[in-house]
Amino acid sequence: MFKVTWKGLIAHKLRFVLTGIAVILGVAFISGTFVFTATIQQTFDDLIANIYKGTDAQVRGPEAFKQDRGGPGATPRPPIPASVEKIVARAPGVEAAQGNVQIEYAQLVDKKGKAIGNPGQGAPALGFGWNPVKQLTQFNLVAGGHPPRNPDEIVIDKGSADKGHFHVGDTGKVLTGLPPKNYKIVGIARFGTADNLAGASVVLFEMAQAQRIAGLPAKFDYIGIVGKPGLSQDEVAANVRKTLQQDGLGALEVVTGKKLIDENQSQIGKALGFLNTGLLVFAFVALIVGAFIIYNTFSIVVAQRTREMALLRAIGASTRQVLGSIIGESLVIGVIASAMGVFGGIALAIALRWVMSLLGIDLPGSGAVVPAKAVIWGMLVGIVVTLLSSIVPARNAARVPPVAALRDVAIERPIRRGVRLGIGGGLGVLGVIALLSGLFGGAGIWFVIVGAVLIFVGVFVLGPLYARFVSSVLGVPIARVKGVTGTLARENAGRNPKRTSVTAAALMIGVALVGFITVFATSAKQSFLGTIDAQISSDYVINSGGSFGGTGLSPRLDREIAKLPVVEASTPVRVGPAQVNKAVDLIAAVDPVPAQKIFALKSVGGKLADLTPDGIAISKKSADKHHWKIGSTIPAKFAKTGNTSLRVEMIYDEKQIVLPGANLISLQGYEKHYSQQLDALIFAKLKPGVSPEEGRKAIEPLLKGYPTAKLQDNAQYKADQVKNLNQLLGLIYGLLIFAVIIAFIGIANTLALSIHERTREIGLLRAVGESRRQVRSMIRWESVIISLLGTLLGLAIGLFFGWVVVVALHDQGITTFDPGIATQVAIVIFAGLSGVVAAIFPARRAAKLDVLRAISTE
Amino acid sequence: MTMSPPTTAVAARAVHASKIYGAGDTEVRALDDVDVDFEKGAYTAIMGPSGSGKSTLLHCIAGLDTLTSGQIYLGDIELSSLNEKHLTQIRRDRIGFVFQSYNLIPTLTAIENITLPAALAGRDTDKQWLDHVVTIVGLRDRLKHRPSELSGGQQQRVAVARALASRPEIVFADEPTGNLDSRASGEVLSFMKQVVQEIGQTIVMVTHDPIAAAYASRVVFLADGKVIDELRNPQPDTILDKMRLLGAE
Repeated sequence: MFKVTWKGLIAHKLRFVLTGIAVILGVAFISGTFVFTATIQQTFDDLIANIYKGTDAQVRGPEAFKQDRGGPGATPRPPIPASVEKIVARAPGVEAAQGNVQIEYAQLVDKKGKAIGNPGQGAPALGFGWNPVKQLTQFNLVAGGHPPRNPDEIVIDKGSADKGHFHVGDTGKVLTGLPPKNYKIVGIARFGTADNLAGASVVLFEMAQAQRIAGLPAKFDYIGIVGKPGLSQDEVAANVRKTLQQDGLGALEVVTGKKLIDENQSQIGKALGFLNTGLLVFAFVALIVGAFIIYNTFSIVVAQRTREMALLRAIGASTRQVLGSIIGESLVIGVIASAMGVFGGIALAIALRWVMSLLGIDLPGSGAVVPAKAVIWGMLVGIVVTLLSSIVPARNAARVPPVAALRDVAIERPIRRGVRLGIGGGLGVLGVIALLSGLFGGAGIWFVIVGAVLIFVGVFVLGPLYARFVSSVLGVPIARVKGVTGTLARENAGRNPKRTSVTAAALMIGVALVGFITVFATSAKQSFLGTIDAQISSDYVINSGGSFGGTGLSPRLDREIAKLPVVEASTPVRVGPAQVNKAVDLIAAVDPVPAQKIFALKSVGGKLADLTPDGIAISKKSADKHHWKIGSTIPAKFAKTGNTSLRVEMIYDEKQIVLPGANLISLQGYEKHYSQQLDALIFAKLKPGVSPEEGRKAIEPLLKGYPTAKLQDNAQYKADQVKNLNQLLGLIYGLLIFAVIIAFIGIANTLALSIHERTREIGLLRAVGESRRQVRSMIRWESVIISLLGTLLGLAIGLFFGWVVVVALHDQGITTFDPGIATQVAIVIFAGLSGVVAAIFPARRAAKLDVLRAISTE
Repeated sequence: MTMSPPTTAVAARAVHASKIYGAGDTEVRALDDVDVDFEKGAYTAIMGPSGSGKSTLLHCIAGLDTLTSGQIYLGDIELSSLNEKHLTQIRRDRIGFVFQSYNLIPTLTAIENITLPAALAGRDTDKQWLDHVVTIVGLRDRLKHRPSELSGGQQQRVAVARALASRPEIVFADEPTGNLDSRASGEVLSFMKQVVQEIGQTIVMVTHDPIAAAYASRVVFLADGKVIDELRNPQPDTILDKMRLLGAE
């Protein structure tokens, strides 16, 4: 008897462990998200506070326009004349004032000719002028060096020096907007006590050289101020403000060091807030899936314990007591699993940072920051979800009549077909209506989300109605191939439609999202690739290494390429933020005449070749919307030049263009409105009759001095362009995999519980000659059927979502619908294999069942 | 050991069969040095009070359970030397089972249940034989029904048909009528008897019901794990007498 009790306990423990895992994973995701973002926030908060530690105030240009990109340095501001530095220095209470510039791209090249770090992917390669005022910089020289004293000397950060094996006295090449140049390394600096600035590589130039590189001769981006001892930051700032006003420079902003810190920290916070929300969405999905598992487990356990419940009721337990005992169980699971989830989340956050650093995305700092939110939300959500998921099963348990104690088998309540059909069908139809009106009727994103959720709920409610049919259809080939084992698997999968459909529904959610993302991303990718094919007639692209940001090529390279005899036309593309008619977006600049030969844009007025420095090319869509014609002037604002206006000189009729943003200006216009000149891409078209091989041979030698430059033919360029999208897709798959794993745990759990229920049946099968291998095979194929049921439903929903969204976004440039068949097939195969994996453990348990015990179990 | 050579062919035989559960003070001898033969083509009943070891004996001869010591011969195969895989094959190919209850797989139809062992072996059933079995079971019109749509007696008849379908050397029945009313019991038992008479099937049946045992051609009595007596061509009242006698001992 003790043995039976013990076995029963083990069985219980196991099912609770499996249920718990669903909660643990979901909660770990939530807590991990909070810990991860809080840790990064803390790192940057410290860093920022450190950067401005000695700064009492700062003078800077007024903000040109708001930009939502976030991150420090993202706010576009006009530069300040260098002369202001002297005025500020004279203001009362000012101990020292020093202007500086920030160089967006200063890439150090190691001795083998390779770029140090990976600015296209991770921390940037920045440059600054050497700041002689000790309080205004955290860079301090390692013994044995000195500050840069002339344009040929630089100081580099210790991290880069170590990576590139540079020592004081070495010569190092630095790539900037100027032609590549060799500098003498005269010093190596630490940032505070760290080897580098949050992973970024930094080159410190002599100030005049820095200004030249930044495209700001005799100008500064900002002027840092150290106040006299005894004065508060506010007093120093007020004094400076007053002095500037007296000199007619009241337009300049003066902020305290504290304000600078706050601003930068909150900018980081905002960016991390998006990340946080994004991750929480996936965590939420995972928890919803987990809720299905908990619900299902409790339902099955309660059904199996019907006799126990009935016995309790028969000997006088009230419904309330039975209800309480089930809820109590779920509470215990909820509390324990949530607590474990919180710890798991902390571990997850640490692991994630480690993985990111392996991928080359270095994040500074050490140790995880665990905010109260991580614990509170993790525990709260975990416990609430567990409790809610157990309410319905607990109520069913409480409703068990005492007389059921006398009955033989666990009775599941019958399916009320009509009610289900009505509710499920109604919700589904409502969902489709909401979804469509959100997408096409302009009812907004919330309609889309609510519609999607309603569709899921509808399909879920309808589940028991079709689960038997679909699983028996899915089982046909299996029964054919595997004979009676397959037939048994198929019948088992269909025998309890409620259970099968809930188990499958958990998987359905994850797979639907994967399927949707796949359709959407594949369509977007194909549309973009189609756009590239249609709009680019060049033969080669020289890619600066990053996708429009973080890197660049000196404009000199394009001029050299243009001069090659084999090249018919070449144009660089430069990209920067701008406000055009109140909308802030990236704007791309091209060399008009060669661009005309390279980019095939359908024109409804004007020619790309005719773009003047004050001209702009716009889309027909925005022209129609604002009633602009050729010759109309559009208000625009740039960080450097402030308010200005651009003349419409070309209107193109394309849904999307291959370049960032929707507006094009000329290279001359870009040079006028932006300080730093860096080419993100160079498109080169070969003369007719020149073979691609000849072209490559001619261009390649020119790239020697530019280690980040990649020479790509159109196929390579396209592959490179979709790489980012693929990475993003990979990340989303990675985040959704949580939900999918939880769903497969659910399948394993359901199987284990079903097997427990079918002990006698399996014993009988074994007695009449079913081998262990056949038992395992039977369970395995049941698992595969349930997996495929969930997967196919999910894919059907995902394809539907993907299709309507793609249709809805036709005007946004997603013109091709591509379901990504290969990926979808891979998903189905993956699901089938995962079904096999999920069955391993339950199947082994089933195969190990003692035949005798199984057939003699009462 | 002296064992008289069997006068008729033996389908199964237990030799010094012992089955011991537990050890020391809690030791239970379910089977205590049992020697017994089951003749081919005979309908043998094993009787005894509960705890006498009759079910254990059946399970051991059928290869469902293993002995602590001694041997079981099924035909000329010694079971204790076989591994789990071979035992499964033996059960599937050479033995038929009828249990007290839960004899049929609820998800399979009657005919699917009958052909289950053959299907598990990946063999085709002998159509003619199957047809013959179905005829004697007399459930031709219910073959497509699931067990839940059959009466208790019908279910047990399907179970017997299943046991016969693979032409086993021996059929073991463990209280096949334990869950049936007297009418259904009679139906199943006379069917089993008919099978023995008409096709010479060997059947070994465990029962505690004298009326059921009276259908057999021989009754073996067990008590405390030992074979203590046997009757040939029993009648219900002779069995009852014998049991009373044994009970009084």
